[in-house]
Amino acid sequence: MFDLFLHFLANTGYYLADYRHYVMIVVGSTFLYLGTAKKYEPLLLVPIGFGILVGNIPFFKGFGIGIYESNSVLHYLYFGVTTGVYPSIVFLGLGAMTDFSSLLAQPKLMLLGAAAQMGIYFTLLGALFFGFAPREAASIAIIGGADGPTSIFLTAKLAPHLIGPIAIAAYSYMALIPVIQPPIMLLLTTKKERLIKMPPARTVSRKELLIFPVAGVLLCCFLAPTALPLLGMLFLGNFLKECGVVNRLANTAQSAIIDTATIFLGFTVGCSTQADVFLTPKSLGIFFLGAVAFSIATASGVIFAKIMNLFIKEKINPLLGAAGVSAVPGSAREVHLMGLKEDPTNFLLMHGMACNSSGVIGSAICAGILWSFFV
Amino acid sequence: MIGIENITNHNGWAMAAVGATIVFSGLVVLSFVISQIHKLLKLWDDREKLLERFKKKAPPAVAEKVDSPVYSERHLPSVDELARAYKPLVDQLEESFKLSQLFEIANNNDMPHPHLSIQRLQEADILVARGDGTFTWNKQKEIKA
Repeated sequence: MFDLFLHFLANTGYYLADYRHYVMIVVGSTFLYLGTAKKYEPLLLVPIGFGILVGNIPFFKGFGIGIYESNSVLHYLYFGVTTGVYPSIVFLGLGAMTDFSSLLAQPKLMLLGAAAQMGIYFTLLGALFFGFAPREAASIAIIGGADGPTSIFLTAKLAPHLIGPIAIAAYSYMALIPVIQPPIMLLLTTKKERLIKMPPARTVSRKELLIFPVAGVLLCCFLAPTALPLLGMLFLGNFLKECGVVNRLANTAQSAIIDTATIFLGFTVGCSTQADVFLTPKSLGIFFLGAVAFSIATASGVIFAKIMNLFIKEKINPLLGAAGVSAVPGSAREVHLMGLKEDPTNFLLMHGMACNSSGVIGSAICAGILWSFFV
Repeated sequence: MIGIENITNHNGWAMAAVGATIVFSGLVVLSFVISQIHKLLKLWDDREKLLERFKKKAPPAVAEKVDSPVYSERHLPSVDELARAYKPLVDQLEESFKLSQLFEIANNNDMPHPHLSIQRLQEADILVARGDGTFTWNKQKEIKA
């Protein structure tokens, strides 16, 4: 009986744990704290944080428990991540929730979304410089798009063994927007520039809102067909919302469907950070390069807005460049708050959302382009 | 392998340059297209006005035919004769009437070329528009006639 008891003890998490598990449990708890107490992107950080806790409970391998064991429940749930199903579903919901009217009213702001994607390509060079393989480098670079589902989608296609660290890096930096972006914005702009007021946007007709998803999917997916799983779903979701005849579908896409996908995506990505797989020097490199990518993306948008101001009559507030990354709506909110700090009557939120939505399209196109380089 | 050599060996420079160019040009094209959507829609909404404008510009040939002395002289009586012929018809109508009503009565009375006749009466200011889509008979002109 005592032998049986000892045998049982030898199979408990307490016995099997080593310091790496405790490190990851601290990381998971930090995510939960940031999401719950600080309200930093709670919809992402809470499921991911809890997933990290679950994924780092030590277990006896071979029982079909862990996410990397082919017959486990978690493994089946993780299937949606490794095949890119969850990111596509998230994009469907995102499209159904996004109002593109601010972008349609000011199409020139789309260029800021394009400029912010430069962070991706600088980081691609950086990752190659540090010795990552090309497919890994491309997956790391997409963190610069500041779009969690897009990062997961591309990594699943190019470097599935890095999904954990890349997803955690992408979502961490999205949650840390209030910490990362403001210093870069302050550094690259003068007070006078931050005070620039944007003109009120014109009213956009329903017909324009209906034509945009159709034109968008045709133009973007003819250019980068590999972006189809993301952009196809994004524009489908948006068309469901705008056409007004399938409100039931649009409502489901923007609530139940995206919520379900977010829960499973966040939770399984969190679970995938098993200490033995996650805590490697490579992961540290990915975190470092991810921070670089995000910072360069923010800086590229701001600098490009300043360059545009040299050529156009109606000046753009360069803070909006920082919203060119596709972290919706975090970066637009941050730009808005910084604008308000300088001038309480300067409302930049809707203009920031225009840049944000073009950033979503831009980063999905980038993912398609990078994937196509290796097809 | 690390450093610049790794970038060069894996075609990194080309990937970065081509990728950045494609995404930039793609979004520039998309922004151009969406900046034109409302203009195209406005054109589409105003298509009838545009067509009318084209029609108004094109017709000199038709107008010439209608106004041509050969046509009017050969097939239509003079304005005075027309006024005399149409006065009894107008008297059957109310003070203000629609041209379609006059046309209908003229047709029923087998008047020749009712369209052209009514048009000539209009041109001669015998039929005067009231501005609300109806017409009246100009009595002063009638006296002259």
